[in-house]
Amino acid sequence: MIEAKGLKKTYTISKKAGFLRKEKQKVKAVDGIDLTISEGEIVGLLGLNGAGKTTTIKMLCTLLNPTAGTISVDGLDAVCDAMAVKGLVNMIAGGERMLYWRLTGAENLRYFGKLYGLHGLELEEKISSLLSQVGLSEVSDTPVELYSKGMKQRLQIARGLINDPRYLFLDEPTLGLDVPVAKQLRETVKNLAKEQQKGILLTSHYLEEVEELCDRVYIIEKGKIVLHDTPQKITETVVNEFHVSVETRTLSALEQSKLAKGLPSCKIQFLPSSDGTILEIKAPFDPTSIIIAICVEQKISIQKLELKRPRLEDAILALAKEKSA
Amino acid sequence: MWLPFSATFERNYLVMRRAFPWSFFLGHILSGVYIIVFAYLSYFYVFRGELNNRFISSAGTGDYLSYVILGGLLYSFSVSLLMIVSRAIITELREGTLEALLLSPSSRKGYYLGYMAQGFMRVGLEFFAITSAGYFFGLHLKNINWINIIVVLIVLILATFTQALILGTFMLYFRDTYITQNTLFVLMSLVCGITFPPAFLPESVALIGEIMPLTHGLDALRMVWIEGKPLSEVFPLLLKILVLGIVYFPIGAVCIKKMEKIVLEKHFG
Repeated sequence: MIEAKGLKKTYTISKKAGFLRKEKQKVKAVDGIDLTISEGEIVGLLGLNGAGKTTTIKMLCTLLNPTAGTISVDGLDAVCDAMAVKGLVNMIAGGERMLYWRLTGAENLRYFGKLYGLHGLELEEKISSLLSQVGLSEVSDTPVELYSKGMKQRLQIARGLINDPRYLFLDEPTLGLDVPVAKQLRETVKNLAKEQQKGILLTSHYLEEVEELCDRVYIIEKGKIVLHDTPQKITETVVNEFHVSVETRTLSALEQSKLAKGLPSCKIQFLPSSDGTILEIKAPFDPTSIIIAICVEQKISIQKLELKRPRLEDAILALAKEKSA
Repeated sequence: MWLPFSATFERNYLVMRRAFPWSFFLGHILSGVYIIVFAYLSYFYVFRGELNNRFISSAGTGDYLSYVILGGLLYSFSVSLLMIVSRAIITELREGTLEALLLSPSSRKGYYLGYMAQGFMRVGLEFFAITSAGYFFGLHLKNINWINIIVVLIVLILATFTQALILGTFMLYFRDTYITQNTLFVLMSLVCGITFPPAFLPESVALIGEIMPLTHGLDALRMVWIEGKPLSEVFPLLLKILVLGIVYFPIGAVCIKKMEKIVLEKHFG
């Protein structure tokens, strides 16, 4: 298990303060974060730009030393035993970095494999199995500069798995990818956690992806954790608003009043349409069963019923709105 | 250390085969050849083949052309090695591969040595090309003890490697290669005795040459190449180069590691 306690990171930046004068300023990028990642679990790390996500990941994977706090990876201290921890973790970033473009896919993996102490037959078998896992066996001898964006990203996944890490950090892994490629990549990530029992920390600006993949989510703001729960509970806590749209025959004034009375804590709008009436309902709970019950009782036939559950995206937007208010 | 060494060697070899850095390769050969041609023309057409006694006593030889040709040869050799090793990390930073490298638990010494060993293949070609050009301008290649020359070159390579680590630190600090490296190279061309003995310089400027491995490497190479001196006679010079290497190595190793962290914080933090 990865366990971070009281994690802080302060940067010192220089600012111009007149001609040939500079002032040093301390900026808290991460301010006392506690988090855990278990094997086989996908954990999301969300926040607006500059919230401290990338700095947190860089500290967890030993690239940056924390200013304060501790990080333990399966009992090893990430600062004192950094070399041992490096063997247990790996990172995959979005975009087209972290690969040598003039080398082929297989050569890239061979290079990184050797940096992790692999060699000989074991390395060659690993390369061939990873390339087949990410579907790049046929282009293993093609230079990376000729790969498409999606192929480069898949090769990055193979590179991230070359040392068979117990924990994987994914920083915007689907950034700029086509929908089918991103979907395939999400499947791979799911398999890594559920079948290979790897602990995964994911940051992404695509919140549907986080909702689909993550068991738990940490939301950070200005270097501090403001919420931590399952995506569903976070959404319910923050947004707490369901939208239901119902199409019926034209309703009489009496029927409209019965419906309004049956849903006292909800906002209802009755909109006329060419075929009848459209009910737009906003409720702090899922009101579908009550609506159906009233309609059955009043013998109102429902032509169409659409429920829009609150999404994680709504929660993040609500949080951002709250902070800027 | 062996695996990162062989991995880096192989990687750079493959990259060199696919995209040979022709501009650097030809640039280094041309800078060595320019020094030789300039010295040849000025020696014969400006100074009419005359040398004053001060030059002979300071340089320890009256063979001006061999003196300058070896100066140009070893200068190009040092500059190439310095560039290859010192630019390693900043190139990773520019190509976006630095994080992947630093994420791995690999030995940095093996990485740099792999860089240098592979770079030596290119430097060797440059050395051969400039030596061939030098031959046509008067460099003698007969009765040379090549083993002594190789020993001098190996000692110089080791010290230049350590100097490159310090140069690499400055490159990372300034996030620049061009101005940083050329400032050092211009200084080296002035104070290391490439075309004239450092004794011609004011004492304070000549002192800077004392901390450059190239100055002592050149003295040693000229002694074994031009005068055919045995290694026992150049031993004090080799010792000076080794001492410089021993001093530069811990400074370079510690500073570049520290600078890697600073770059990561500034660039990716």
